[in-house]
Amino acid sequence: MIRAENLQKTVPVGGRELEILKGINLEIKSGETVAVVGASGSGKSTLLGLLAGLDEASAGRVVIGGTDLSALDEDGRAAFRAENVGFVFQSFQLLPALTALENVMLPLELKGQQDALNQAEHFLQRVELGQRLDHYPRQLSGGEQQRVAIARAFASRPDILFADEPTGNLDSRTGEHIIELLFELNKEHGTTLVLVTHDLKLAQRCQRRLQLEAGELVVG
Amino acid sequence: MTARRMLARDWRGGELGILVAALVLAVAVVTGISAFTTRLQSALEQESHRFLAADAVLRSSREAPATLLEEAGRRGLQTATTLSFPSMIYAGDEAMVLASVKAASDRYPLRGELTYSSEPFGEVLSAAQGPQPGTVWLDSRLFALLDVAVGDSVSIGEAEFTVVAATRTEPDQAAGLASFGPRVLMHYSDIPATGVVQPGSRVEYRQLYAGDAATVAAFTAWLQPQLENGQRLLDVDQGQPGVGRALSRAERFLLLAGSLAVVLAGVAIALAARRFSERHTDYVAIMKSLGAQARVINRLYGSSLVLLGLVATAIGCAAGWALQAVFFALFADQLPVMPGPAGPRPYAIGFATAFTCLLCFAWPPLRRLGQASPLRVLRRDMPSENRRTLGDYLLGFVAVAGLMWWYSGDLRLTGALLLGLGVTGVLGLGLALTLLRGGRLVGMSAGSIWRLALAGLQRRGTANALQVVIFAMAIMLLLVLVLVRTSLIREWQAQLPADAPNHFMLNIAPEDVQPIEQMLRRSDVPSEALYPMIRGRVMAVNGQALPAREDATGESERHQRGANFTWSDTVPAGNQLVAGQWWPAGTDEALVSLEEEFAQRLEVAVGDRIGLLIGSEPLEVTVASIRKLDWQSFRPNFFMVFPPRVLSDFPATFMTSFHLDPGQKSFLNQFIRRFPTVTVIEMDVVVEQVRGIVDQVSAAIELVLGVILAAGALVLVAGVRASVDSRLHESSVLRALGARRGLILGGLAIEFATLGLFAGLLATVAAEFSVYLLQAWVLDMRYVPSPWLWPIGITSGMLLIGALGVYSCRGVVSSPPLAVLREL
Repeated sequence: MIRAENLQKTVPVGGRELEILKGINLEIKSGETVAVVGASGSGKSTLLGLLAGLDEASAGRVVIGGTDLSALDEDGRAAFRAENVGFVFQSFQLLPALTALENVMLPLELKGQQDALNQAEHFLQRVELGQRLDHYPRQLSGGEQQRVAIARAFASRPDILFADEPTGNLDSRTGEHIIELLFELNKEHGTTLVLVTHDLKLAQRCQRRLQLEAGELVVG
Repeated sequence: MTARRMLARDWRGGELGILVAALVLAVAVVTGISAFTTRLQSALEQESHRFLAADAVLRSSREAPATLLEEAGRRGLQTATTLSFPSMIYAGDEAMVLASVKAASDRYPLRGELTYSSEPFGEVLSAAQGPQPGTVWLDSRLFALLDVAVGDSVSIGEAEFTVVAATRTEPDQAAGLASFGPRVLMHYSDIPATGVVQPGSRVEYRQLYAGDAATVAAFTAWLQPQLENGQRLLDVDQGQPGVGRALSRAERFLLLAGSLAVVLAGVAIALAARRFSERHTDYVAIMKSLGAQARVINRLYGSSLVLLGLVATAIGCAAGWALQAVFFALFADQLPVMPGPAGPRPYAIGFATAFTCLLCFAWPPLRRLGQASPLRVLRRDMPSENRRTLGDYLLGFVAVAGLMWWYSGDLRLTGALLLGLGVTGVLGLGLALTLLRGGRLVGMSAGSIWRLALAGLQRRGTANALQVVIFAMAIMLLLVLVLVRTSLIREWQAQLPADAPNHFMLNIAPEDVQPIEQMLRRSDVPSEALYPMIRGRVMAVNGQALPAREDATGESERHQRGANFTWSDTVPAGNQLVAGQWWPAGTDEALVSLEEEFAQRLEVAVGDRIGLLIGSEPLEVTVASIRKLDWQSFRPNFFMVFPPRVLSDFPATFMTSFHLDPGQKSFLNQFIRRFPTVTVIEMDVVVEQVRGIVDQVSAAIELVLGVILAAGALVLVAGVRASVDSRLHESSVLRALGARRGLILGGLAIEFATLGLFAGLLATVAAEFSVYLLQAWVLDMRYVPSPWLWPIGITSGMLLIGALGVYSCRGVVSSPPLAVLREL
């Protein structure tokens, strides 16, 4: 489903090239749940960005379901993301000017889906925010914002869901609730889930853990 | 997602406020000023047409064909005819005086008004038209000279007329002092009966035309190519040089003000759009992570801009209309005529300004939003790629230049301002970067407030330098406007002081000089010196005879002409030598000093010889110098000045000018009775008219200045707001760390005041430079440095920017730090 081949990422820092990822090879099967773990600065978020097609690799390639992301330009990758990929972020990344409902509708509208409104309402009800459709992000608590983000991620029915520290900004009880929700929905829709986390409990819930150390995969 | 929905959401989220406000204000200011100046120009033009008594005049020495009048009538213009000529006027058996007769047809004057009184020097009344056939109006002093009263008969040539009134002023009487002799006004249809006008008589025919501007313009364009020798078409500028110059300067000032509005608007929009796009970078990153392509983003923001432009243009045009309506309401009682509507042009200018500004200032940063990396959703600290490029600045500069040029229609005005702006930009960036960096070293040894402030200044070095330049540009433009306004108004006032001479006295016999001087002194009438005056005629240049005026070919003005000569051992007061040298006192060389334009018309220079005829005596003189005169001063001015000994053998009369207050008018009656042969010309009404125009124009300039100041303030606010976010963020962190209110506000105040100081300094330098260029190139004025500008420019920059900055950031100390951090 997802295949990374000799994935490398270097960035210029003060005139030198800094290697962040040093040739990663991995494969994730369809429907699998995978946690990427590692210390701060080990390259977890960079790997996630590359796998999700948010960034370009310095060398190597990412192939998802037969599509070589490295061969696409940014617009091609955007089209690919719209069709196949959903995101949940540590800092929620809701658009502050849009209501909860409008935030969930956004990816559906980008795909040109006609019943965006009904779909969005359905998913917000699914995350128990049916009463708060017209609230703006700043009127919602952190947990509620993340539930909106989860509703948004699943509303476009992606094949793969990428999550970056989804509980990182939440207290442990709210975090647990979010984890439950994430895995429930994941099971309902049979989505492939790739998440980056420091949270051991969250990592345990996944079928597989990929350990990164200084840009190299040590357990995969 | 449609653009409309995104805009609605942004509006609810408060993201669009500044951009819309900047755009609406830009359109409103540009439209308002443009409509105001268009209407004001038409009002002032109408006002100035009073000096021609028409909108256009055909002057000729032979009667112009009546078919021209018919054509004008067919086109819907009003027409009238006048004929002026010198003639003897008789009363009873003995009394006769050489008078300057004007015969006018029914509708004269087409513009302005004719005034009369029912007895000499009596109460002034206005008349819609001149005397009826068979009657005449006489100049007040003719009553004394001819010893007649209202109701008596006088004769001109073979015709007899009843005197019905005293003529006081004619709208076109200022057309020159050549009209000697007291005025007699009669009806045009009575001319054949007099039998005095014969072929070859020295007469001046005028055909007067008036109507709406477009028809008049079309008619004169049709007429111009058909003009024959001896025919000339007069418009405002030619009719009254003083008024024409005051008007054209005022017009340029208003256009200058309008151009500044365009620049300020552009800068405000650029600042607002930049902030808008910065705030939208994350927005775009999220949309892209959700799969939006660059194309979709561009279409979204592009159509948003178009929508925004349309809405802002509509609101701005309405506001602009309201603005000029308010202007005119304030202004109504000062205007002699209420001008018609301004037409669609101001609104077209508003529309074009809005879309040019959006395209050249707002679109470049928004277009680059499409290139924002979606990776920002994972790494919010990623540097924004949305930096302005050199191309953006060039595009903005070209847009400003183009708009200004289009708007003012004046390349030199545009050039002077752009050079000033360019100086601000280049000097400013260099200076600001250097000084802001140096500031850090000083700050290290100062207290913590200073260290904080200077560290902030230095860290955002480039952004701050840019901000200094923007502040400086806004302040510079405002200073330029204030400076030009001040010098314009000062110059006008200097030309027409309250005691400016408003009467002329001609034809004073040498033996009357002393008694008249005594009488003026005794009656407390301030007067200029008495100048000798000899009437003569220029006949030849360098031995070559000149053609008579009627026979001069084409547009050339090189023909025989009469002129008033005077003599003097010194340069006359108010005259300025522009070429050659003044003669030593007591010389008996045959020299002459010519007025500049007179010399140009004769096409002569220093060293050329001029052949003259004085009475029947020929005289040849050499041009020794050329002088510049101030024709707007209402002082006695002479085209030709000679050394005293050259003219000593010719009979001379004397002239002077003096000032009479309205309450002193009865002095004239006494004077005329005692010196009946002296010609007195009343210019007080004309002087008042000119002063009235100058007052109106000054008031307009003050009003426009006020509006531009508001536009400048908007730029300053937009400029301060552009940097508020990052400053707020830092200050919140400081507060969270326990910094006191005083420390944070003090730091912010120092930071902004320092920016203001640089901006003020820079603005002052650039303003002086621009004003110098403007006065030299555009306004035809002498440049005077303004040392008082320096402290004002610098202090106002510091106080204004400092206060605005602290005010915009006040939220950081009045709300909890967490709330501020979450908002950003």
